Amino acid sequence: MNSWKLLAGAVLAALLVALWFLPSWSPYFYIFVATEILILGLFAAGFNLVFGYTGMLSLGHAAFFGFGAYVVAMLALHLEAPLLPALAAAVIGSGLLALVIGFFCVRLTEVYFTMLTLAFGMMVFSIAQQWRSVTNGSDGITGFPVSELGLGLGLTLGNPAVFYQVTLSVVVLAAAVLYIITLSPFGLVLKAMAENPERVAFTGIPVRRYRLYSFVLSGMFCGLAGGLFAPFTRVASPEMLHWSQSAEPVLMAILGGSATFLGPFIGSAIFVLLETWITSFTERWMLFLGIVLALMVIFLRRGLFGTAVDFVLARARRRDHAA
Amino acid sequence: MHKHLTKFASAIAVAASLAAGSSVHAQEEPIKIGAIYIFSGVAATYGEFAQRGADLAVEEINASGGVLGRPLEITYEDSQIKAQTAIQAMRKLVYQEEVDVLMGLDSSGVATGVVPIVPEVQTPFIITHAATPDVTGKLCNEWTYRVSVNINQNVKGAATMAAETDAQTWTTVGPDYAFGRQSWDFFQQYLGELNPDAEFSDSPSFPAFGTEDFTPFINAVIDAQPDGVFVSLWGGDLVNFIRQASDLGFFEQDFEVIMSLGAATEVLSALGDQMPEGVTVGTRYWYAGPDNPTNDAFVKAYRERHGTPPSYNAQNAYAAVYAYKNAIETAGEVDKAAIRDALSGMTFQAPIGEVTFREGDHQAVVGPAYGVTRDDPDSEIAMLEPLRLLAGEDVTPAVEDTGCNLAQ
Amino acid sequence: MESVVAALWNSLELGVLLFLIAVGLNIIFGVLNIINFAHGALYMLGAYAAFTLTGLLGLPFWIALIAGPLLVAVLAAVVERVMLHNIYDRPITDTLLLTFALLLIIDEAVKWVWGTGIHIVEPPEILAGTFSLLGTQQSVYSLFVLAVGIVVGGGLWLFFTRTLAGKVMRAAASDRKMSRLVGINVPLVFTAVFALGAGIAALGGVIAAPIRAISPGMGSNIIVESFIVVVIGGLGSFPGAFLGAIVLGAIHGFGSRFLPELNIVLPFIGMAVVLLLKPQGLMGRSAI
Repeated sequence: MNSWKLLAGAVLAALLVALWFLPSWSPYFYIFVATEILILGLFAAGFNLVFGYTGMLSLGHAAFFGFGAYVVAMLALHLEAPLLPALAAAVIGSGLLALVIGFFCVRLTEVYFTMLTLAFGMMVFSIAQQWRSVTNGSDGITGFPVSELGLGLGLTLGNPAVFYQVTLSVVVLAAAVLYIITLSPFGLVLKAMAENPERVAFTGIPVRRYRLYSFVLSGMFCGLAGGLFAPFTRVASPEMLHWSQSAEPVLMAILGGSATFLGPFIGSAIFVLLETWITSFTERWMLFLGIVLALMVIFLRRGLFGTAVDFVLARARRRDHAA
Repeated sequence: MHKHLTKFASAIAVAASLAAGSSVHAQEEPIKIGAIYIFSGVAATYGEFAQRGADLAVEEINASGGVLGRPLEITYEDSQIKAQTAIQAMRKLVYQEEVDVLMGLDSSGVATGVVPIVPEVQTPFIITHAATPDVTGKLCNEWTYRVSVNINQNVKGAATMAAETDAQTWTTVGPDYAFGRQSWDFFQQYLGELNPDAEFSDSPSFPAFGTEDFTPFINAVIDAQPDGVFVSLWGGDLVNFIRQASDLGFFEQDFEVIMSLGAATEVLSALGDQMPEGVTVGTRYWYAGPDNPTNDAFVKAYRERHGTPPSYNAQNAYAAVYAYKNAIETAGEVDKAAIRDALSGMTFQAPIGEVTFREGDHQAVVGPAYGVTRDDPDSEIAMLEPLRLLAGEDVTPAVEDTGCNLAQ
Repeated sequence: MESVVAALWNSLELGVLLFLIAVGLNIIFGVLNIINFAHGALYMLGAYAAFTLTGLLGLPFWIALIAGPLLVAVLAAVVERVMLHNIYDRPITDTLLLTFALLLIIDEAVKWVWGTGIHIVEPPEILAGTFSLLGTQQSVYSLFVLAVGIVVGGGLWLFFTRTLAGKVMRAAASDRKMSRLVGINVPLVFTAVFALGAGIAALGGVIAAPIRAISPGMGSNIIVESFIVVVIGGLGSFPGAFLGAIVLGAIHGFGSRFLPELNIVLPFIGMAVVLLLKPQGLMGRSAI
């Protein structure tokens, strides 16, 4: 088993190196594609803390993603805030919003939880749409400057390659933190709750409070992703808060495999690349996306990455037995 | 589909040029146009109409020898009515497809997101539908042009029509987003200038975009009994509104009704003979209006191909392609900066008439058409009679009033 | 006074229409335990069927009223057999994703078959025009909507309480294993339930066709509205769908008329309040 872990680590390290130097070897447009994959991957991974690890399907996480986007966009527009402090504000702001929404939502479970997150998410959407004096209504926040990072590094974030490498750094750091959380005793409790909340409750752990912690943490990571997304697309608009935006991380997590840590990132890559390629050769992209989705759900029960991991592990186990 | 379409288009072009003995050679590298429109969801019809108009222009131009001896090739992307998607589409068109010029944009919200970053991709962009004043106003930039009628021009026409009625008290029903709100603001401003006695309701109706049931809003207007109602709903919302309003006797009431986009062909053809008569309706181009050979040829070719009269969105996209042709020929090259500069102040012939891109804000000086609906047994859609074509000069605000400062 | 009467009547009409659209979603959830994201798309198919049968083929509206839902029900039965049939033992998220894929496929297919244009369906002569009600003018068609709602609601109630097929469905909903043991062909029941739910959604589409613009994507608004209806009334509860629809109809009817600025957010506030105070919905969860 250990040799497998070593190998996986080496592959991951090689992948990260290749990703870091992506601007020097890939076609120019793929810098944008890779940036989008990373950001949406972080969104999906953050969402998956609640979904895959804690077993609660939220259809309102666009609220935190979009909120992060609005925070960064508005700070840039009104205060010309550098990116890093703006991202910090997005994380804290989204965390607070998740605390308020989560306070109500974690009281419910199963499909009722899902529906309540949908309702709260759409309330946030409605506020962004209607509170025109602050949010600029349906037009959203546009035309804000994207200039400084905030560490005195003098990076021009307007350069897509630079922005990509900043995004890669932030996402890898955030993913590392998220990974540590999932491995911590806290993360193990979440997993146990997903499998059997009653048994966890018997051990004296306050299940509802742990759900809330998970929800808030998840909201913070999604807010960070949204905070990166606004300077990437140069816009923060109400669509980023809409429930259809909440559906994206669900798709990504399931496509990649919600039971694995890297699954949501893989799912994000599948989703973004599919959309990029399919829209290039057909305008019937929804049809193809629908068919691919359906086939994956029917035949890859644990998502693409999850199924691949299962396959590798099964082989490893066989080999261990043989040895 | 795009690729297939363009291939198909080039095939037709080649065949046509062989037949005509003209000079588009297949080996000449094509000049690439990237177009971003709505191709999915409730408003997908706008993308399809634009595609029809642009394809027609591309095929005509290729059949007659292309531009500078090179054929045109057009690639479409779906904006999905989302700014973030449209911006990624623009990057893809510029960096991946390596297009020479860009055109499109239906939704104002999408346009306000896209326009500020057009200078980043360093590619001339002609907007053909989105009507928000900002993209040739406070958000204007040297790379961005608009060939189509904007909200100011559209609503100035409505105010002109309103000023000629006896109505003094006005209210509105408009979609609850920037477009509906801005339309009402401009209506009050322009009508107030033309008729200082006009009064405006302080409780206008703004149903959400995509509202299914307009009954409460219709009842609110009927209860208020104003002298006139200004309606800025469009597309499927307007179709819904008109049908439900007819059911509730809205059009038999004693007030004037002016619809700023009621004469759009997608609305008239959806409604057929259910379109009430005697309503003042506007559109950003009326196929039977402009009296010039370009328009005659365009309407004829479009009808032959699709069996319906062209919509304003088809005309706008068609005009944008010809604007590029003209700019490339003026510049004598396809270089992006050269085309950008050639477009500024350029005048060219479009179906809607002679169109000039103002140097000050890059807005085309064009005007809307307004008329009163009349059922015509010979036509598949209601006709406008009498018809008024408003001159671009009369409805376009001065550059100083747009908030655009291109000199910087 | 008149404006209250008008708002009341409007709420009732809208509520009944929402009931027709959403009740199928609730029946499918109640028995199959799946949230059908494609429900709005099935409603859209009903509207397009009405447009094709009356507008393109020139058949009377009354034929569309019967044939439209039947066609969609048959299509739904095929879809259920091909796509949904083998994954009922999976987590609810898998079915959610699969019906989402179905939604994408139907949306695109509709654009392919019918194009992107906006269409209308003309109501039959007898249902055109208005009548006066306590000083207000109301459309005759709204009476028809109410009548259909009563017939469908009553019919479903009789079906589930009085007929063998209805009782079998309720049995399969409350205990799949036990139903199997007593010899009920559960897979067949599931196919029938999905077809029934889809057929009613399509009926909603046919009824809505003469008062709604028909265009691609018209189902996407309706799906969230339907969620609100079934949540307020009670997930899986058939009478709940009726109550939820009337409540949402009133939120729209009165909210749009008297609180237009809050119009967009009110339904979601209503949904959240019900979920927090009475998660099982106003009628509580019961097997259909």
